[in-house]
Amino acid sequence: MDVDGIRRDLGIVAPWERRRDGLWIEAPGLDVRAMARLLCEAQARWVTMTVSPAPGGFRLIYHWDTDGTLLSIATAIDEPSVESLIDIVPAADWVEREMRDYYAIEFTGRTDTPALMLRPDDRPGLFSRTADSVRDFDPADLTDRAERDADRAGSAGRAAPADDSVRASGDHAEGVR
Amino acid sequence: MTARIPIGPYHPALEEPYKIEVVSDGERVVGADIEVGFNFRAIEWLAERKNYTADLALVERVCGICSNVHTLTFSRALENLAGIEVPERAQFIRVVVAEAERLHSHLLWAGIACEVIGFQTLFMTCFDLRERVMDVLEAISGNRVNYAMNCPGGVNRDIVDPGVVLRMVNEIEAITSKQLIPVLTHDRTVRARCAGVGVLTREDALALGALGPTARASGLPQDIRKAAPYEVYDRLSFDVPVLESGDVLARIVVRALEIVESCHIIEQAIQGMPAGPFLGGQFPAIPAGEACARIEGPRGEVFYYVASDGSDVPTRVRIRTPTFANMPTVVPMVLGQTLSDVPLIQASIDPCYSCTDR
Repeated sequence: MDVDGIRRDLGIVAPWERRRDGLWIEAPGLDVRAMARLLCEAQARWVTMTVSPAPGGFRLIYHWDTDGTLLSIATAIDEPSVESLIDIVPAADWVEREMRDYYAIEFTGRTDTPALMLRPDDRPGLFSRTADSVRDFDPADLTDRAERDADRAGSAGRAAPADDSVRASGDHAEGVR
Repeated sequence: MTARIPIGPYHPALEEPYKIEVVSDGERVVGADIEVGFNFRAIEWLAERKNYTADLALVERVCGICSNVHTLTFSRALENLAGIEVPERAQFIRVVVAEAERLHSHLLWAGIACEVIGFQTLFMTCFDLRERVMDVLEAISGNRVNYAMNCPGGVNRDIVDPGVVLRMVNEIEAITSKQLIPVLTHDRTVRARCAGVGVLTREDALALGALGPTARASGLPQDIRKAAPYEVYDRLSFDVPVLESGDVLARIVVRALEIVESCHIIEQAIQGMPAGPFLGGQFPAIPAGEACARIEGPRGEVFYYVASDGSDVPTRVRIRTPTFANMPTVVPMVLGQTLSDVPLIQASIDPCYSCTDR
């Protein structure tokens, strides 16, 4: 496959970078649908997509295989929204549904994006949500609560309920499932 | 008149949660929808909150059957990220364990397939062979599952008695070649139950991103061991069985032939294994950066992406398992088939819900 031709057709300025795991390229403002069309025409095989939280948005990496070489094409988005590829790459369907579950990414152009790992009524964005609650979570709060619970139990002349600490620690996991 | 029939989340063939809602017109399937996630564990999220040492133990539990492939792929992603070279003996040991795991997985699946077909005698033959593989894996690693063999830069244990491995491989190869494959390919019961059932066309396999034996039974010659060789696979001679018919029988036969190929690979790896170190030393520091790794697991290509900020906790771990890619192929397989064939067709992709529900 002429990977440099694909790079030029997509208007990507940066060159491919050869690493131990394959070829990488940074493509700001990537036209993801044009990328998918070009790579499918060139007989590349869809591998998967990686979404990572990044300052001010998300980093998206599209992974393709061409004759055993892994192509990783990275771009960034400011808003949690990107065009869907499923009409070009049906294999992307479950990956898009999964990324909607984890990061509440909206894939435009789909009639719907049902939950895959979550249940239908669950709020999308599980990983983003839990990342915030973990970042804001202070383990000292648990110790303080445990001490307060012990004091309260002592003053009431009974043992603290065994599940109080569980309930306290469960606060930060609220909404996990 | 059509009827919607929910099958699952308790699987009719395997003890794992998964649901397929079948729309049937009489006995004929005219629609299907798959639901997964009943055992979702958010392992990617967990991995981003544990250090690399703990993550090795964590990713080994993505799957009970192909646990080794997960630590191997994770280790290789870290080796790619940190530029770590693996001692030659460790690469051979990794191949032996990876192929023994493939034997274990394929024999387990063949046994289950035989049970679903109703062929109890062959089920017992397969599980007897599988037991021998597990004995050898236990002899090598100390564990029957979750072998804890891989670490970045090498393996944790040496193979101290290669003769045990060779004897096991010779037995399995003989029984597979003389009993298993002839029965699976020529027995009238197996053919009547599996030939022409649950066909996945080459076009559908390509469009839906099928992997591993599921893809190879539909005419796609995909195998990362050949396309992008890792460890010492490029120094070993083996064939990648590919069939064109795309039916349940083809998926059974591809795996049976792969059992023989895995035996050949193990024999060569044991005989060619050089002396030397097998450990990479202390757990390496992982620099800031990102890297991927791909391994051909028993069910197909396993993909890992790891990003690091230079600390001992990864900032992102992405895991794409083969069953995650193969599961959607069940829908075109069951369309037009009879309801009674649905459990067999589902089982024919060797689904792993544990992998899917990472």
